[in-house]
Amino acid sequence: MHLMLLIGLVIFCALAILVRDLLKAAISLAAASIFLAIVFFRMNAVYAGVFELSVVAGLITVLFITAIALTRSDEHVPESSYHKFIFPLFFLGLLLIDILVMKSLLGRIPAISSPEAGTFGEIMWKERSLDLIGQIGAIFAGVLAVLALFRSSDKSPQGGKHE
Amino acid sequence: MNNFWILNMGAVALLIGIGIYGLLTMKNMVKLLIGIEIIAKGVTLALIVTGATKGNLMLAQSLVISVIVIDVAVLATALAIIIRINRHTKSLDVRKLTKLKG
Repeated sequence: MHLMLLIGLVIFCALAILVRDLLKAAISLAAASIFLAIVFFRMNAVYAGVFELSVVAGLITVLFITAIALTRSDEHVPESSYHKFIFPLFFLGLLLIDILVMKSLLGRIPAISSPEAGTFGEIMWKERSLDLIGQIGAIFAGVLAVLALFRSSDKSPQGGKHE
Repeated sequence: MNNFWILNMGAVALLIGIGIYGLLTMKNMVKLLIGIEIIAKGVTLALIVTGATKGNLMLAQSLVISVIVIDVAVLATALAIIIRINRHTKSLDVRKLTKLKG
């Protein structure tokens, strides 16, 4: 079951890259997020699963679809036609390297784990409180950047010539 | 070192590889962002799988939430830039952004 979920995740991510229609690519990405959220739930990572499902599969897909609707133009961006041949070769090569190298590579990583103490809330709010400040800063930076990019150009001092 | 971790890290490597392939070969700006999203998916899977295997799942989840929040902020800004560029050049083709090329 877990292997099937991982295969579905990889297939939908590959579809998101390979499909020409942007709307279908965004929906493939959302489907991959749903698979990833199920993987998280199966590993008892419920908080990460909820965030993945609501924010990545929900909010990010809505953002993508809004952007695609706002930029819908008649001109089609020509992609290379070699993807049909190059991507399977690339993928098979990656899979082969993965199978050959991954086991020995991960075997060298020392086991440095220490048992964790406390609940999710304690770790999130006490141990990683600086992360939360960084997250708040990132959200405000994103909001200010979007506001700056979409502000009306009529208010510029050069009399609206600024674009 | 259990096989469950190795299997999942193999999937992580595939996801990051697919994302890098998309970043290297795609010409559409939205597709480039989708490539970045796929790499972020691989990173979150790596964090959760390693946390679950090593017994630090709560810490891994708090890190994943940070990654997702920053990812959303980056994506919103990048999509706003793409919409702005599209209004300017009437295209999503990254090859048309040659004004700074010199």
